[in-house]
Amino acid sequence: MRKAALAFAGLLVAAGIVFLGEASRLPTGWTASGPGPGFFPFWLATGFTLAGLAVLVRTWSSHHSPGEAFLPGGAWKRILVVFLPMVGIVAFLHYLGIYLGGLLYLLGYTRGVGRHSWPVVVAVSVGVPLVLFLIFERWFLMPMPKGLVLEWLLYGR
Amino acid sequence: MDPIRTFHDLLYGLGVAASPENLMVAVVGLLLGTAIGVLPGLGGTNGVALLLPLTFHLKPTAAIILLASVYWGAIFGGAITSILFRIPGEPWSVATMFDGYPLAKQGKPGVALTAAFTSSFIGAFVAIVLFTFFAPPLAELALKFGPPENFAVLLLAFATIAGLESGDPVKAVLMTFLGLLLATVGFDIVSGSPRMTFGSVALQSGVNFVIIAIGVFGLGEILLTVEEALRIEGLRARLSFRDVWETWKMFPRYVWTIVRSTLLGFWIGVLPGTGATPASFMSYGMARQFSPRGSKFGTGEVEGVVAPETAAHAAGVGALLPMVTLGIPGSPTAAVMLAGFFIWGLNPGPLLFRENREFVWGLIGSMYLANVIGVLIVLTLVPAFAAIVRIPFAILAPLITILCSIGAYAVNNQVLDLWIMLGSGLAGYLFKKLGYPLAPLVVALVLGDMTEQAFRQSLIMGQGSPAIFFTRPIAAFFLAASVAVFLLPFARKVVRRARGGAVPAEAPGTAGS
Repeated sequence: MRKAALAFAGLLVAAGIVFLGEASRLPTGWTASGPGPGFFPFWLATGFTLAGLAVLVRTWSSHHSPGEAFLPGGAWKRILVVFLPMVGIVAFLHYLGIYLGGLLYLLGYTRGVGRHSWPVVVAVSVGVPLVLFLIFERWFLMPMPKGLVLEWLLYGR
Repeated sequence: MDPIRTFHDLLYGLGVAASPENLMVAVVGLLLGTAIGVLPGLGGTNGVALLLPLTFHLKPTAAIILLASVYWGAIFGGAITSILFRIPGEPWSVATMFDGYPLAKQGKPGVALTAAFTSSFIGAFVAIVLFTFFAPPLAELALKFGPPENFAVLLLAFATIAGLESGDPVKAVLMTFLGLLLATVGFDIVSGSPRMTFGSVALQSGVNFVIIAIGVFGLGEILLTVEEALRIEGLRARLSFRDVWETWKMFPRYVWTIVRSTLLGFWIGVLPGTGATPASFMSYGMARQFSPRGSKFGTGEVEGVVAPETAAHAAGVGALLPMVTLGIPGSPTAAVMLAGFFIWGLNPGPLLFRENREFVWGLIGSMYLANVIGVLIVLTLVPAFAAIVRIPFAILAPLITILCSIGAYAVNNQVLDLWIMLGSGLAGYLFKKLGYPLAPLVVALVLGDMTEQAFRQSLIMGQGSPAIFFTRPIAAFFLAASVAVFLLPFARKVVRRARGGAVPAEAPGTAGS
């Protein structure tokens, strides 16, 4: 836990320095139109970095609970099972779209993790994307990414 | 301003609003608005914008009643998603999640929902009364608020949120800086140059706080839940109207919170360019500061639901005030409605009251009726909404994820935003686990642009000297208040130590979530 906290605080400080670099590419002082565009980001990044350093030092100097594990046993697997499919949906958004991707995710998760019976699995996996499709695409005319597959199925292209 | 005359006008307005046609329009608008509010990604602003073309066929009075009812419905509906899923259904219901979701998780979704709906109703109703009797003088006072005053008020909001973080105050400050930094990403309004984009074109439009909020709260929560071992079964929650009654019995305790939140929310709403979202955050922060149970906030305090909801709805009403009286929109949604005014052939401004008596008083009358009808509709649905938490987690998790994706995509129609959402989901999970509070991050991100603008404009007004914040009395007052509020928790700790009492240790990670 302590190692993770230290590493994370270190990461934040590093990010702060990157932010500082990015902010100082713009004028940070007084310009013809008042404070320059970099003024606010620069001082914010400074504050962020200093606060990160303070957290780092405080974490370093605190001594309690070194033995506690960052993640309980087996948690990694459960987190990946839920998170990787999300990444998959976004990565294949171009082909599957939100509706088909959602359908597959629901199908896999309700069956694979939830162990629900097939009728429930199918009803939920088909029903939810269908209702969402009707709401967003038909009634409110807010186009969501449908993906090449669904576009082909719906419009034949 | 003659109160008796106003009263007569009000009765007339109620009569207009209660006509069968207008009443039906209000009910339709409320139902639509509630649905729009529930769905993340469909917000009050785009809901109103989408319905605007529909109003061309209606009389102006019916048209404004429809749009206003959609707006009220969306404010009611936004709370539902926040409380049940920890996804903000609407930007202004982010603060409702902080205590509403823990309540739902403890098996009390009915209490949280009732508290949210009831306080929305009270906030709106009192604000409407204020609106009815004090519209013109308030609108003029709002115009006296310049950039220095706005900056000082915003500073107070940050101080209230960061100042009473029950965890590590340094981490709260760090998260505030991070939120403000994220808010600067994108084009700079003054100079037009892209900032903090690291050369990415897609980032030039900025980082929308809704996407970050969906990620850190919605996805982050799912990751935390699966880490704690999966609950295959849904929550057991009592589903009955007893919740409604029992929550109402708690309300007299919160009378000061309600009064404070209503006045604050209404005033923030009246100020141009603000609206319900900052109002809800400020009110939450204030309530945490003043409540005797302030340190328990974030763990499922009913008061933590009451404060932001009261203010959000009061601000929703307040935002319409400068629109009607001066033609200046008080919020993005009001700006869309204002577009409607011109389409219907009306000129907003002081003359509107005289020239279009039916329209103005019909709108005001419909606000009374729509809120009464609205709260009755949503309260009868409390058991039905609460039943949602009984859905098993293995179904709920992918469902929430899909809703998160739709909500994040809808903001800008950009795939990049989905990656940002996934990234912030992971970040939110780590932040929460390591005791970094999430509330200051989101608050700072929401108010960041406004703050920077107010700050820069003030400095320009003062020709580069920060003295302008101290020489203007209203600004100086709020500035002093923010410093006091920020230092208050530190002072309390010092006093407690001096008295020899131990400072109670707070559990890390519970703060502001």
